[in-house]
Amino acid sequence: MRRNWLAWRAERRSSGRGPIDEGIKAVLGGALGLLMAGSASAQEAVEFYGFVEFEGTLFAQEERFAQQERDDFSFAAQPSLLMEWQDGDLALTLTPFLRWDAADDARTHADLREAKIDYRSGDWDVTVGIDTVFWGKTEAVHLVDIINSADAVEGLDGEDKLGQPMLRVSRLTDIGTFTGYWLPYFRKPTAPGFGGRLRAALPVDADNARIDASGEEFAQSFALRWARSYEAFDWGVSAFHGVSRDGAIAPFAPGTVLGPDSKLTVVYDTITQLGFDGQYTSDATLWKLEVIGREGQRDRNFERQNYIAATGGLEHTLYQIAGTQADLGLVLEFAYDSRGGDALTPFEEDVIAGARLSLNDEADTALLFTASTDAVSGSTALRLEAERRIMEGWKAEIEGQAFVYVDEEEIESALQDDSFIRMKLSYFW
Amino acid sequence: MEDQRQDRMSARLAEQIVRLRWVWVVLTLVILAVSVVGLGRLSMNPTARVFFGETNPDRIALDQFETEFAKDDNLMFVLVPKGGDVFTPRMLALQGRITECMWRLPFVRRVNSVTNFQNTTAQGDDLLVQDLVPDLPYGQEMPDGTCDLAIDPAAVTLETAQNARAVATTRVELANSTVSADGRVVQVQALFKFPETDKAHEVPMTAQEAFALRDQVQAAFEDVEVRLGGSLIINNQFASAGEADGKLLTPLMILAVLLVVALSLGSVFAMLITLLLVILSAVTALGALGWSGVPLNTVTVLSYLYIFTLAVAGAVHILASVRQSMVDTADRKEWARRALRDHMVAIAVACVTTAIGFFSLNFSISPPFQELGSVVGFGVLVAGFFTLTLVPALITFLPIRRQLKPAMTSRAMVGLGEFVIARRKILLPGMGLLVALLIAGIPQLKLEDDFLRYFDTRFEMRRDADFIEANLTGINALEWPLNSGEAEGVNDPDYLKKVAGFVEWMRAHPQVTAVRSVTDTVARLNMNMHGDDPSYHRLPDARDEASQYLFLYELSLNYGMDLTDQINVDRSTLRVSVFLANVTTADMRVFTEDARAWLRANAPELDTAPTGLVHVFNLISHRDVRAMLSGSVLALVLISAVLLIVLRDWKIGLISLIPNLVPAVMAFGLWGYSVGAVTLAIAVVLAATLGIVVDDTVHFLSKYVKARREGHSPEDAVRYVFRNVGMALFVTTIALLAGFGILAQSGFAVNGDLAKLTAITIAFALLADFLLLPPLLIAIDKFSEKKEVTGMPMKPAAALIAIALLGGGAAMTLGSQAWAQSAEEKGLAITQEADKRDLGWGDQTVQGEMILRDANGNENSRSFQFLSLEDERAENGDKSVTVFDSPRDIRGTALLTHSKIEPADDDQWLYLPAIKKTKRISSSNRTGKFVSSEFSYEDLGSNEVADYDYKFIAQEPCKVLAGQQCFVVESYPKNAKSGYSKRVSWIDTAEYRLDQVEFYNRRGNLEKRLTFHGYSQYLGKYWRAEKFTMVNLQTGKETDLIWRDYAFRTGLGEGDFNAQKLARLAR
Repeated sequence: MRRNWLAWRAERRSSGRGPIDEGIKAVLGGALGLLMAGSASAQEAVEFYGFVEFEGTLFAQEERFAQQERDDFSFAAQPSLLMEWQDGDLALTLTPFLRWDAADDARTHADLREAKIDYRSGDWDVTVGIDTVFWGKTEAVHLVDIINSADAVEGLDGEDKLGQPMLRVSRLTDIGTFTGYWLPYFRKPTAPGFGGRLRAALPVDADNARIDASGEEFAQSFALRWARSYEAFDWGVSAFHGVSRDGAIAPFAPGTVLGPDSKLTVVYDTITQLGFDGQYTSDATLWKLEVIGREGQRDRNFERQNYIAATGGLEHTLYQIAGTQADLGLVLEFAYDSRGGDALTPFEEDVIAGARLSLNDEADTALLFTASTDAVSGSTALRLEAERRIMEGWKAEIEGQAFVYVDEEEIESALQDDSFIRMKLSYFW
Repeated sequence: MEDQRQDRMSARLAEQIVRLRWVWVVLTLVILAVSVVGLGRLSMNPTARVFFGETNPDRIALDQFETEFAKDDNLMFVLVPKGGDVFTPRMLALQGRITECMWRLPFVRRVNSVTNFQNTTAQGDDLLVQDLVPDLPYGQEMPDGTCDLAIDPAAVTLETAQNARAVATTRVELANSTVSADGRVVQVQALFKFPETDKAHEVPMTAQEAFALRDQVQAAFEDVEVRLGGSLIINNQFASAGEADGKLLTPLMILAVLLVVALSLGSVFAMLITLLLVILSAVTALGALGWSGVPLNTVTVLSYLYIFTLAVAGAVHILASVRQSMVDTADRKEWARRALRDHMVAIAVACVTTAIGFFSLNFSISPPFQELGSVVGFGVLVAGFFTLTLVPALITFLPIRRQLKPAMTSRAMVGLGEFVIARRKILLPGMGLLVALLIAGIPQLKLEDDFLRYFDTRFEMRRDADFIEANLTGINALEWPLNSGEAEGVNDPDYLKKVAGFVEWMRAHPQVTAVRSVTDTVARLNMNMHGDDPSYHRLPDARDEASQYLFLYELSLNYGMDLTDQINVDRSTLRVSVFLANVTTADMRVFTEDARAWLRANAPELDTAPTGLVHVFNLISHRDVRAMLSGSVLALVLISAVLLIVLRDWKIGLISLIPNLVPAVMAFGLWGYSVGAVTLAIAVVLAATLGIVVDDTVHFLSKYVKARREGHSPEDAVRYVFRNVGMALFVTTIALLAGFGILAQSGFAVNGDLAKLTAITIAFALLADFLLLPPLLIAIDKFSEKKEVTGMPMKPAAALIAIALLGGGAAMTLGSQAWAQSAEEKGLAITQEADKRDLGWGDQTVQGEMILRDANGNENSRSFQFLSLEDERAENGDKSVTVFDSPRDIRGTALLTHSKIEPADDDQWLYLPAIKKTKRISSSNRTGKFVSSEFSYEDLGSNEVADYDYKFIAQEPCKVLAGQQCFVVESYPKNAKSGYSKRVSWIDTAEYRLDQVEFYNRRGNLEKRLTFHGYSQYLGKYWRAEKFTMVNLQTGKETDLIWRDYAFRTGLGEGDFNAQKLARLAR
């Protein structure tokens, strides 16, 4: 009898996990299972996993703007529930995310990172629901990545994202994977509120953003992507049409009187973007490139301007440095945006250099240091991330960011006093 | 506005530096103290082998050869009697004496001479083996401990002497190796076995005793000339050549430094400050090397001279600025402040780029260059630090006399600028043509690494070597280990005939002076055993005859004269040593190819690459040029990044590549036309000079960009550049030329070539910056003005660079891969059978748990699912996915591997669930430990039959499987990146299951032992163990790998092992 490997895994999961899984399986499994087509399958599996995290942030300088709090404490949880039927061909994933923040009400928020049903049949994969998707190759700047809106209150690096409702159909062929997306709903990116640091003089009114074409959140977006790995090359070609995930700040109407409660309005345009991301792997050196061209985007001056942006560089790893088990990865990337100073990103002509030290010890200790410098204005930011498992299930992280010099002309100029150090303690189960 | 802001920042920083001036002085004293202690810890590594990295495959082959036979360190004690005859009774008695004296040298393993040659003759039915000059009297014990040199010519009868001449000049074992064919030159040769416990002293100490013996002989026998040769002398020279160079070059260098400073600044205190700076920088860098515990070698011993040269430029900039400021103000602090404000950035950039260039030498496969790069890179950074802190501090303290007359204006430079602008239409194509012409010379470069001739004729060792080669024998030895493919195979008449045929072919070669092979002895013995009948002077026809002769012969040999350095332990392999004279590296490569072609045609099963010190040097440049290509590319990228930050202009940044790269290329071309032969120094020249020549480019382009931003026309911008930095560029170039010109006088060719090429490159860099760059800038700026499209030239240029970089990468990966044909058929057959029996399982899934245990018994575990898909085609590897379950913070992290047959690296992708990113990663890290366990990536990777060469060793009881017999098979990885020299596997004879594997590290020591426990059979065919235990015998750490819930044919397909679908498996 040929049994599916996922069934094998399901068997292991359903027998191997603890009483919580069993309980959830008993309560939810049956009920949900009834709703699913073909629930008569022999194997079903439930897994409950996730993390909770405590976070403290200390800022180096006094807050610049009234209503801001100096330092911050925060708590977050991200539990996940995974259920599988039909030997794993059908799966339900549910991953809510919650954060409570002492300083900033806008950072206290909840999101569904995943709430989706995946179905697989042969070379076809279909996903219905909310999911998070990553496209791209480079380390510092993520240009082609466009499916999800940023959960900007979570971090500045664009790697924390809001779950995106979608219908996704994907097919694996001999010449790569073709994936089509229908994104029927636009998630407004989050932004720090009055109490939060790392923002401009006025906070962005994230909830009342303007969605340009339709004016409402049920704005259709579509995307297509072709991704392939061939010999030492990996690449993706993507196209996107719909609501931009990057907002432009609308100027205030003439005569507006600014009060203590004034906020900035953000506008999200309808855009079309073509993207390419590629990587060439040569021994211990990875060469990376991402290029996009975008049409219809408003810039920093609130004018529509078509533009091209590119980022690329190399990552070279030195293994077992100095006779230890530690690896040192050196990253050097360049970022370019044809809009120059009008770009919505701080990376319009920047050099980013980084070093990633992985000790490869039992605690998976890792250290990432990056320095980014604007080649035009000289604005420089340093960033350090360190993490280490401290005991089974527990992980400690330190994240520091220093804005060494921020030019007044730069989009990130408001952050010049927001150098911070953040400590996180997380428990995973 | 941009520049104003930068000026403000510089001014603030300059103010701070001057305010803290006492801090710098104290800090300097502390650094000096620490460094001086470090200097005391420096030692010297005295061997030619320092040039071979541990991963150099040729060195690994040599190490293997030497473990099997012997590591030959030899001393050739060459005697040239003025009388022209070495076979007089007196000379023979002297040779006998010297033979005995040489036995008294430390670490000696054996002494070979004409007198103790083991001559075989028939005596009736018996074999008589005795010294060629027998019954020489022993020397007396001397009161001062020296060797007794008193000889008694009467102890050698005329008849014995006649016989010795007859034998020695006709026997292939002696003629043209121990004694010259005309009987005018003879050697006594000692072979050493150094314990290598005190490497820094063993060789020099032994060499000193050899020199003492020579002096003693020379004094006692005025009519005999003595010359010394051999690897002992060469290695000793590697230890002392640097010293000799240092003694000669250091005073010259200091003189040059003083001269340059005096000419350009005209101040005694300026000279003192500069001298202090260069010495401090060098002491600090060498002190750091001392603390690091890395010994010095022939190349790094001169590293301080590089630092001297490179440190001067920064100081000159600062002091020249002071010279200008003193006209305006008497405030010493203001002098320091202004100097810092104006030159801080340029000096810092110059230091960083120079350091990057030198640091990239770490890509070289040759450790001396790696170390040179690190030391000089560090020294340059230190020099930069001192230049920007200590030097300004000293300026404020020292009573430098104020001079009110402005320094000489650079009118000549203004004139040069006008000339370049006026003639640019001719200069641009003219310079382009010159560059093209010089590039055409590059193919003329011949990589020539004759390590005997790295030393020029000012060294006695080199003169002696030349004499020996001209009058006695070739000193370039290639070693061929010819493996018969079976234990005791050296007795096989067929095999012996093939070896003898090979020897004969080589002897006919004009460049070969001598060939040493046991086949000659066997043929001779055959004749002896047939009553010295000359018609039997050939190899025996029967296996047992050959075996008996050798057995008898070895029984009769004197102490220390056995054949273990000719025949390996299991008697499967004979060593054939070939000595060549008057050959270049290229000649030897051709000879090697010809010899292998002969083997392929006549004895294909014996075909193998030669080894030997000479052979490793023959190939080292080829390997290093390839390795340094990536180092140079990386240095170029990093330095270009620095340039971009400084210049803040993409277009200019790309143009800067031309003056940065062209000079080295021109230098190579010029060298190709003029000299041709070049040592392995050439590999590192591009990277090392890149950082130096870029300084000129930075000065030139930053001033040009500044002028252009202020609205000047391209022509005016060029005028501005020549007026402002022309003189400074000229002076620093002269200083560098002087420094490297002095270094070029080194008698050690590797150092000399590196310095000469660097000096030429720097000179061309000035030429390119003055004559090529301005016309190019004007042309490009005019062109883009016409097109009125800003930034347009960037795209084609960027595309070109991308193509160039990728092309370079492709070239690096090219290169022939020698696939030695394995004669070890049984080992291969067992492995193939084991592989065959495990074919057809399709796909499998298994739950793995790794338990890491340290020597104290502390445990740590990780669990994961391991899925794999078989690819039955021999040319393809299997595919696998590892998905982690715990520790929980890495849950869902997945690793996809598409195995490739060696030497290709596997393809690997890593899925990171936190950001849902699938990232292609490099898989070249084979020796790293998988999640800090005792399993390396290599151990866990798919092991394909074609990845190794095999050799069957024995059949014996299994180690773990009770009551079973096991084959023992050795396998040697084909990939040079492997962490192992060999693996020994126990495979059971019944089911071909792995029972135990022992892993030997590169040094040949047993490092780890892997045992397999609890086999079960699945699908009625496939055996799987439930536990692997890996024990690191060096550290006592252990890792258990426990496998549960094996399942087969679960419906996994190609589509599941796809990078784009990895997220689904990792769910």
